[in-house]
Amino acid sequence: MMRTLDAWRSKMALRPQQRRQLWAVVLLALAAAFPLVDQNAANTDAMANAFVYVLLALGLNIVVGFAGLLDLGYAAFFAVGAYAYAIVASFQLKPEWSDVWLPFLWLGQVSRIQLPGQPDMVQLHFSFWAMLVLGAIICAAFGIMFGAPTLHLRGDYLAIVTLGFGEIVPVVARNWEWLTNGAQGLGGVRTPRLFGFNFGFAPLPYYFLGLALVTLVIFVSYRLQESRVGRAWMAIREDEMAAGAMGVNHIHYKLLAFSMGAAIGGLGGVLYVAKLTTATPDMFQFPVSVMILVMVVLGGMGSIRGVVVAALFIALLQSVFLQELTAYVQTLGRLIGNAYLQKVQLISSLELIFGCILVLMMLYRREGLFPAVRRVAALTREQQAVLPTRDATVQLSWAGTTTAAPGALLHIAGLTKRFGGVAAAEAIDLMVERGELVSVIGPNGSGKTTLFNLITGLIPHDSGTVRLEGQEISGLAPHAIVTRGVARTFQNIRLFNNLTVLENVLVAEHPRLQAGAAGAIFRPPRVCAEERQAVDNALEVLALFGNRLLPRLEHPAYGLSYANRRRLEIARALATRPKLLLLDEPTAGMNPAETLELIDLVRGLQAFGITVILIEHKLDMIMDVSDRIAVLDHGVKIAEGTPAQVRNNERVIEAYLGRRRQTR
Amino acid sequence: MDSQSPSSTERHLLLQFLDVHTYYGPLHVLKGVTYEICQGEIVSLLGGNASGKSTTLKTVLGLVRPQQGTVLYRGAPIHTLRTSEIVRRGIAPVPEGRRVFPKMTVLENLEMGRYTRRHEPGWNAELERVYGLFPVLKERQNQLAGTLSGGEQQMLAIGRALMTRPALLCMDEPSMGLSPGYVEQVFDIIRTINEQGTTIFLVEQNVNMALSIAHRGYVLQMGEVVLSGTAQELLQSPLIRQAYLGTVAEE
Amino acid sequence: MSFFDILLQQIVNGLALGMMYALLALGFTMVYGIIELINFAHFSVFMTGTFFGLTTLNLLGFSGSSKALTGLPLVGTLVLVFAVTMLATGLLGIIIERLCLRPMRGVSGTAPMITTIGVAFILVNVVLMVWGPQTQPFPGVIPDQRWTIGQAEVTLKQLLLGAAGLLLLLALHYLVRRTALGKAMRATAQDVDAAQMMGVDVDRIIILTFFLGSALAGAGSLFFGFYYGFTAFYIGYTTGLRAFTSAVLGGIGNIPGAVLGGLLIGLTQSLGGQLLQVRWTDVIIFSILIALLVFRPTGLFGIQTPQKA
Repeated sequence: MMRTLDAWRSKMALRPQQRRQLWAVVLLALAAAFPLVDQNAANTDAMANAFVYVLLALGLNIVVGFAGLLDLGYAAFFAVGAYAYAIVASFQLKPEWSDVWLPFLWLGQVSRIQLPGQPDMVQLHFSFWAMLVLGAIICAAFGIMFGAPTLHLRGDYLAIVTLGFGEIVPVVARNWEWLTNGAQGLGGVRTPRLFGFNFGFAPLPYYFLGLALVTLVIFVSYRLQESRVGRAWMAIREDEMAAGAMGVNHIHYKLLAFSMGAAIGGLGGVLYVAKLTTATPDMFQFPVSVMILVMVVLGGMGSIRGVVVAALFIALLQSVFLQELTAYVQTLGRLIGNAYLQKVQLISSLELIFGCILVLMMLYRREGLFPAVRRVAALTREQQAVLPTRDATVQLSWAGTTTAAPGALLHIAGLTKRFGGVAAAEAIDLMVERGELVSVIGPNGSGKTTLFNLITGLIPHDSGTVRLEGQEISGLAPHAIVTRGVARTFQNIRLFNNLTVLENVLVAEHPRLQAGAAGAIFRPPRVCAEERQAVDNALEVLALFGNRLLPRLEHPAYGLSYANRRRLEIARALATRPKLLLLDEPTAGMNPAETLELIDLVRGLQAFGITVILIEHKLDMIMDVSDRIAVLDHGVKIAEGTPAQVRNNERVIEAYLGRRRQTR
Repeated sequence: MDSQSPSSTERHLLLQFLDVHTYYGPLHVLKGVTYEICQGEIVSLLGGNASGKSTTLKTVLGLVRPQQGTVLYRGAPIHTLRTSEIVRRGIAPVPEGRRVFPKMTVLENLEMGRYTRRHEPGWNAELERVYGLFPVLKERQNQLAGTLSGGEQQMLAIGRALMTRPALLCMDEPSMGLSPGYVEQVFDIIRTINEQGTTIFLVEQNVNMALSIAHRGYVLQMGEVVLSGTAQELLQSPLIRQAYLGTVAEE
Repeated sequence: MSFFDILLQQIVNGLALGMMYALLALGFTMVYGIIELINFAHFSVFMTGTFFGLTTLNLLGFSGSSKALTGLPLVGTLVLVFAVTMLATGLLGIIIERLCLRPMRGVSGTAPMITTIGVAFILVNVVLMVWGPQTQPFPGVIPDQRWTIGQAEVTLKQLLLGAAGLLLLLALHYLVRRTALGKAMRATAQDVDAAQMMGVDVDRIIILTFFLGSALAGAGSLFFGFYYGFTAFYIGYTTGLRAFTSAVLGGIGNIPGAVLGGLLIGLTQSLGGQLLQVRWTDVIIFSILIALLVFRPTGLFGIQTPQKA
């Protein structure tokens, strides 16, 4: 078995890593050579502008593509970055001199102007390079400011709110004349200087600067995507509730995505304004936000290379292609004598094209032109023919043994939850000892899943307590409860459908890993080791299911068979290393053989010291495997005891079969 | 396995399922089920959770389409028809969980029940009949349905279904969530409706209640009919408890 | 004029404006109530409606420099223009639903909303291509008569349009509350599956809802044209956002709420414009929207909470 694990592990190491690096070098070389070969300043200029849009699209891709948050006002961050630089690098602000400016004077960011007969004034000329960083930080702060009160909203409401932000920022820019010079905007913005070289108005230095920034952001995007942070984002995008149940703090990560996207938008803004040397409110209106959205939608939400290609295409469409196409069309018009064609200006149909792209992509190719989902090769014949085996010597390295200290692991007292007058749970008392397997049974609507939802914090309780190892956990958020050691599966299976088997399990390790955004980007040895260990842990858990899941590591979860999806959900829950595992109808839909296999596994987990609470309907099987059984009916616990006690309990039978009719 | 009631061909067959297979995505929910419901009967469909009971009713109403097999109503296939047409032909549903329209009044809910026959005369007669069966509805006719108690909502759901004077009433778990008092009342009313001539296909978890008013029954387990017979036979069968509470297949 | 008089004047203006927002918000809220979709395209339909109205008036022989009408010709013209415009926008709404939204039914996430944004863009730009970017004057067929209440003035325009709006609202109320079709609409909005089980043809109900909602937008669009005397390709956007705020304010999916919300926003706009500076009203209204969505998404009167996660 260790040999098999090693074999899988070495397969992991040969990722498309090296292939990608080769591509990167080639493309970078081509891009660097392009302006020098082409020698056309107009083309270089168009490309330099296009790079700004690529930056913006990459930023929005993090928000929309990775984290699944629809932002319709992304241009707001573009604007904030642009104006931030423009304000401190133009002659708009002319504050009176005071000593507060001394450190800036010393750093060379401002000058002191002496005018005859007037108090001294400050002239601002902050360094472009400093503002690149500062602008990004300011935008990130704006992202947090906008996002903190609003990111909990559901999808389309959030979209409208971001639309509102996207509206407010240019309106403020237009009206706060003292700061922004109103509708006229700011002009004469200082161009960047590097070691005495002034970028001036020639496009070439901006081209290379843009290329450098784009390369940097692409690099950052890939690093983030394939990290703990990226997995958390994608889990939130796929199924926010399940992500929380696996320990992902979705408010935190949504904010992170939003502010990172904002920061990149700010980068784009600073660059753009430095190149254009003006900033006006009209440059940041709603159609700009839509254009960037179109780029992301066209390329494929979440697909980095797709977004880059689409952004370049759309930007060049706007600046070059449509112009040239117009010339051809007009010529055609002259050839065939059509007056309309002779006068047409295709550029004015740009927004029409955007609208069509949005509609057509959503109708026919929602995943984009270069989708982010990876296509996997089917299993080979050998892999398919492998008989499912379960290796009895598989261990869970982290699990305790059966000699775990006895005592109550979970103590529920008086737990009550009402939904509008109807009690879904009424004063439930339940004690679960460490290492036990307790089953919860009851007819339809008796409150079993509600009980699980209450324990895992998915719904708030009305009264009562839930104590895990003596500590109160009711009232905690679901992701916090996971870190305390409680994991669950869902009755109707909530996997991250577009993530692979391996990724699904890796998400569950989220709370035990530590890499943040910085760790993801820089990949210090500690983080690399952590990731390797995480993959090992995942493989270990998946190996519990023999050859069911291991051959399908890179398969997206939506393609698995029904039974395998159930197994994957259990593997995912196990990967959180729970002390207490809640399984909600894990054998639903399985045939008898699969059911037996799963129950064997659950017994095996018990042997590892994991406490299990099981909701099931196959009562003979329950009687066989449970240490104790609790019976719910209409939200009330009507019986509890050993299988033998429960099996013959009149009230239980009555609950299932119904009371005998009083009158006949 | 089953002992048939007097030959079904002698009485009018109202509804028939012939070897019906239904899937929910990859899940094989109904695995070749066959039922026969004759005019004037109360037939109960029993079984534990996830046995396929609700799917059966959804198939009757056209909310779910079978992959294989036929559903015949008065000898004509209905499994390819739209729900509105099926309802128009005389089948009315009392859905699981009542599903009354909460922001409409009791009267408006009853009007919705008559939607497919709204242009035909007879509205008043049907309304009187329903109010006769459920006086509480007449009392509360202008009250919003969402403010009624669970039992009253169940009455409303049944009354709503009766507004088209259906030949076949399909009831999905009418006792669920009701207090015992209301459960008794509801089953009394079901029997009365049947005595007035309506055939009833009753899906119920509450075996004892159901078999106390049904003529015949089918027991479903994991999508297959494992027992059928008259209510007497089923009640006395020792197998029903085992079959009903669900088992892993014998090794 | 005393402060009170100014206030009164702005209230009058605000109510008139509010009627327009109410009509627009209604269409939006009705669609949302049935299929839980934020239909961006609704506001472009509104804008297109003004051009339909303009074209109808032009065909009838009126142009920007026409004289005003009185009496029966005035009423007759108005009725005709309203009828044609509402029919045209209603049909436009149906076309959009059939082509672009029906295939999106059942798709989760924000894809359907993105589709409506695309449709909105297409509409705006088609209008732009056909009629050009300049503002188009609306024929001033309604004479400029005024009456005074105290020191405040009420114009004939406000009265006529207000009456028209009121009529439409009453008609809608009657339809939704009294007719079987209206009840089927309400039932579908409350429980689609149960409605289907009652034999309601849900697909037809959705088409009807789109037709009605878009027709009401058409009525609102004529409000805009007659009231402001002009139209242009860009008017859908800001008016639309204000109407959207009205719908949210009244509780999305809540029909009477939309009307009240519209009136409130109209009042906010005119009072806000008077008390603060006009250019800040947009910021105020958007801030109201954001605050609503963050703190009270059910609106002032709404009971329907957004279900989809």
